[in-house]
Amino acid sequence: MARVLMKGNEAIAEAALKAGAEGYFCYPITPQSEVAEYLAKRMDEVGGLFLQGESELAVANMLFGAASTGKRVFTTSSSPGISLMQEAISYMAGAQLPCVIVNIMRGGPGLGGILPAQSDYFQSVKGGGHGDYRLLVLAPSTIQESVDLMMLAFHLADKYRNPVMMIGDGMIGQMMEPVEFPDHYEEPELPEKSWVATGAVGRKPHVIKSLFLDPYMLEKNSWELHEKYDQMKKEEVRYELYKVSAKNKIMIVSYGTTARICQTAIDQLEKEGISVGMFRPITLFPFPEPQIHKEAIKKNINDVLVVEMSTAQMMEDVEKAVLGKKPVNFFGRTGGVVPAPEEVKEQIMMLIEKQKKTKAKKKA
Amino acid sequence: MDQQNQTIFARPDAMTETVTHYCPGCTHGIIHRLVAEALDDLGVRENTLGVAPVGCSVLIYNYFDTDFLEAPHGRAPALATGFKRMRPDMVVFTYQGDGDLASIGMSEIIHAANRGEKFTTIFVNNTIYGMTGGQMAPTTLPGQVTTTCPAGRDVSRTGYPIRMVELLAALATPAYLQRVSVHTPQHIIQAKKAVRKAFEYQLEDRGFSLIELLSTCPTNWGMTPSEASKWLAENLLPYYPLGCYKDFDKAEGDK
Amino acid sequence: MNLSAMRFQPPAISGGIIIIVGGYGSGKSEVSINLARYLVTSQSETTGPVSIVDLDIVNPYFRSREAAKELEKLGITSVNPSGGQFYADLPIILPEIKGTIERREGTVVLDVGGDDAGSRVLGSLANAFEGAEYELLFVLNANRPFTATAEGCLKMMSEIETASRLKFTGIISNTHLLEETNEETILDGLRLSHRVSDETSLPVRFLSALENILDEIDPKLIDVPVLPLNRLLLKPWE
Ligand SMILES: Cc1ncc(C[n+]2csc(CCOP(=O)(O)OP(=O)(O)O)c2C)c(N)n1
Ligand code: SF4
Repeated sequence: MARVLMKGNEAIAEAALKAGAEGYFCYPITPQSEVAEYLAKRMDEVGGLFLQGESELAVANMLFGAASTGKRVFTTSSSPGISLMQEAISYMAGAQLPCVIVNIMRGGPGLGGILPAQSDYFQSVKGGGHGDYRLLVLAPSTIQESVDLMMLAFHLADKYRNPVMMIGDGMIGQMMEPVEFPDHYEEPELPEKSWVATGAVGRKPHVIKSLFLDPYMLEKNSWELHEKYDQMKKEEVRYELYKVSAKNKIMIVSYGTTARICQTAIDQLEKEGISVGMFRPITLFPFPEPQIHKEAIKKNINDVLVVEMSTAQMMEDVEKAVLGKKPVNFFGRTGGVVPAPEEVKEQIMMLIEKQKKTKAKKKA
Repeated sequence: MDQQNQTIFARPDAMTETVTHYCPGCTHGIIHRLVAEALDDLGVRENTLGVAPVGCSVLIYNYFDTDFLEAPHGRAPALATGFKRMRPDMVVFTYQGDGDLASIGMSEIIHAANRGEKFTTIFVNNTIYGMTGGQMAPTTLPGQVTTTCPAGRDVSRTGYPIRMVELLAALATPAYLQRVSVHTPQHIIQAKKAVRKAFEYQLEDRGFSLIELLSTCPTNWGMTPSEASKWLAENLLPYYPLGCYKDFDKAEGDK
Repeated sequence: MNLSAMRFQPPAISGGIIIIVGGYGSGKSEVSINLARYLVTSQSETTGPVSIVDLDIVNPYFRSREAAKELEKLGITSVNPSGGQFYADLPIILPEIKGTIERREGTVVLDVGGDDAGSRVLGSLANAFEGAEYELLFVLNANRPFTATAEGCLKMMSEIETASRLKFTGIISNTHLLEETNEETILDGLRLSHRVSDETSLPVRFLSALENILDEIDPKLIDVPVLPLNRLLLKPWE
C-alpha cells in the first residue's frame, strides 16, 4: 500500500481494523478523540461495531462482554479515562480475556492537563487495578511503530489471553507522519479460542469469570497468570539500541517520543565529538531488565541517564535492572512540558563534567 | 393449569442439578426457575448467555446450563451490551439485585435501557443488600431497619426508596417494563408470564425489557419465610405497585 | 526574497477576510501562518494591518497559536486565548474574533479546525460574516485518507459548506508527506486539485509546498501560483 499521511490517533484506529478488530467502544477525551471520530465513519464501512458508552467505566465493561465472544475488540482513552477502566481491566486479566486498550497519555494527576505526558507508567506496568496481574505494555515512538505495535497487540492479546495496553504520550496521538499499512496482514497461527461464550450447544456451559471462592483455586489461578507473565518475559521483550558503541561513556534510557528528543540530542552531540548511546524499551512490561543490565555494566559506560516525561517512574525499573552497578541519573519534565533536545544535552554535559572531576580526584 | 403444575415441579432443562446455596425461603431460587422455564419454553437454552451480578446470586452460573459471564458489581448491563452487540443472534440476560442495579449500577442500567439494548434484565428487588449482610439499599422502605440504618431508614437523611420501573418508564426507548412479585403462587404465575414475555420481546428484536420482581430476604429481614411473604404483601406492594409500566405494543401510538 | 518565490508566480491574494479550511491534518495551520507572512511582507500596500485568528477548536496540539510569538515579530497580530487558556481544549471563541471579522479593516487570516466538525464554529459566526466579501479556501492534501480521491474531496467540501454556512471560493493544493515529500508528491496532488477544480468550477488559487523542495522543481511543471512554505510548527525533536 502507498504511504499516507496520518495523525497517530487515526493510524492506530486503522491499524486495529487491519488486525481484524470487529468492535470498538469509547468515551470522548482529549487528546485521543480522533480515534473515535475516525472509527465512527470507518466501522460502518467495514461492518464492524462502533459504540460510544456512557462512561469509561461502562466502556471497559462493554469491552469485557464483547471480548467474551472471542472477537477482536478494543478501546482507547487518555489518562483520567484509563483510571476509570481499571475495574474491568482487572476483571479481564483475572478471567483471561484478550483485548487491546490504548492510553494516549496526558498530564496528571487528577484532571491535569491535555498536553503530552508519560506519567501513567506505574499504572500501566505495575497492574493499575486490584489483584495479582500484569498487562503486556507496548510503547511506540513513531506513528509507523504505533501501527505495527497496534497490530501486534491484538496478536499478543490472543496469544496470552491477556489484555494488552499500548501507551503513547499525547504527541503519539496528535502528530502526523507518513505511514504504510501492509496490504494484507499475516500473523503466526494462534490456538483456537475454545473458551469463548457462544451458547452451550452440545457442551458444558462456559463461564467466564474471575471469582474463585476457594482460596486455593484463586491462588492457583494467580500462579497460572504469573506463568504467563514469565513466558512474556522470555518471549516478548522488545527494545531498540541507538548509536550504542564502545565509545559511549553515557547510556540514555528513554521510551516513546521522549526517545526521539534524546535521539536529536545524541545526533547533535555526535557532531560535537561526544558519543552517547540510547537504550529504548519498546515493551514496558515485560521490561528489558537483563538487556539493560548487560548494556549498563559494559566497561565504557560510566553513567546511565533516564529521560522521561514524568517525575521518575520508569527510573525505578532501570535502577532495578542496573542493580547498583552504575550510577543511574534522571532527567524529567512533566505536566505536559516536553523536554527540549538542548535540555538533554545540558544534562549529558553535566554528567561529563562530573565524570572528569571524579577521574581527576582518583588521579590525585 | 395442569401444564403449569408440571413445569413447576420438574427441573427445567436450562438448570443444572446443583443444589442452590440460597437461604431457606429465599425467593432467588423461584426466580431462577422462572427464567429457566422461559428459556426452555422458547427453546433457546443453547443460544443463551447470562450475565451474573455481584450479590447473593453471584453463583447463578452454577445453576444454569447456559454460558455465563461474571460481571463486576453493577456492570452487568455494560457486559451484556458489549456481548449482544457483537452477537446479536444470541439471547442475553442480566440477573441483578437492587444494590447491584439501583445503586452502584444505576448509570449502566439507565443507559443500556435508553440505548434500547436488546437484552432482558431480571431485577430482583428485596430492598436490602443480602450478600454483604443486610445493609441499606436504595430500595429499602422508609422506616425499614437494616444494619446501616439501625433506627429504620430516615428519609430526611437518605431520601425515599427508588422505584426503578417507574424511573425507567420515563425513558422513551425501553420496550417492556413490568413489576411482579413472587410471594404467592398466583403472583408466581403472573411473574412467569411476564418473564416469558420479556424474552419473547427480545427474540422479536423489540428492544430492552426489564422485569422487576419483588422478593424476600428472610435472613436479613429477620423473619420466617411466611412472615416475610406477609411483610412483603403489607409493606412492599403499597410502595411498589405491581403492573406493566411500559409495553412496546401498547405504546405504539406514542412512537 | 527567496529563490522559489522568485521563480514561481506569487498567489494573487491581496487581503481581506481569508478563511482557511480543509480536512484534519491537511496542513491548514502551516498554510495560514505562511500566507499571513507572505501578505505582510509582499502585499503590504493592499493588506492593511494583518491578523491571524486561531479558530481551531478541535485540535489540541500543533495549532497556529503556537507560532504567535514569531508572527508578532513580523507585525502580525494573533488573536488567541491567553494565559492558561492558551492550552485549553475548551472551545474558546474570543469576542475579539467576532470583532475582528466585523470591523472589515485590513486582512484577517482565519485558521479553522479540520473537517466539518472544525468548520462548524464558522456557522456560529454567521452574523459576523453577513454581507462580507471573503475567500473560503479548501486546503487539499491528496495523501490524507479522506481526501485521496476527487469524490472524497467533494464530499468533504460539501460537508464543510453545510457546517460553515459559507461558500468556497477556491482550492489550495497542499499535498505533502512531510519530510518524505518529493516532486512527484506535489505534482500528483496538483493533478487531483485540478480534477476537483474541474468538478467544482473553483480555481486552484495557489499551490503550497516546502521551499527546499520547490527549489528542485521546474517552474514550468506548475501552472498555478505558488506559496513557498517555511515550517514553524515543529515537533520537539525537529
Ligand atoms: C465495587 C464493589 N463494591 C462493593 C462490593 C460488595 N458487595 C457485594 S454484593 C453487594 C450488594 C448486593 O446487594 P443486592 O444487589 O441487593 O443483591 P442481594 O445480595 O440482595 O441479592 C455489595 C455492596 C463489591 N463486590 N464490589
Ligand atoms: S441473604 Fe437474603 S437474598 Fe441472600 S440468599 Fe439469603 S435470603 Fe436470599
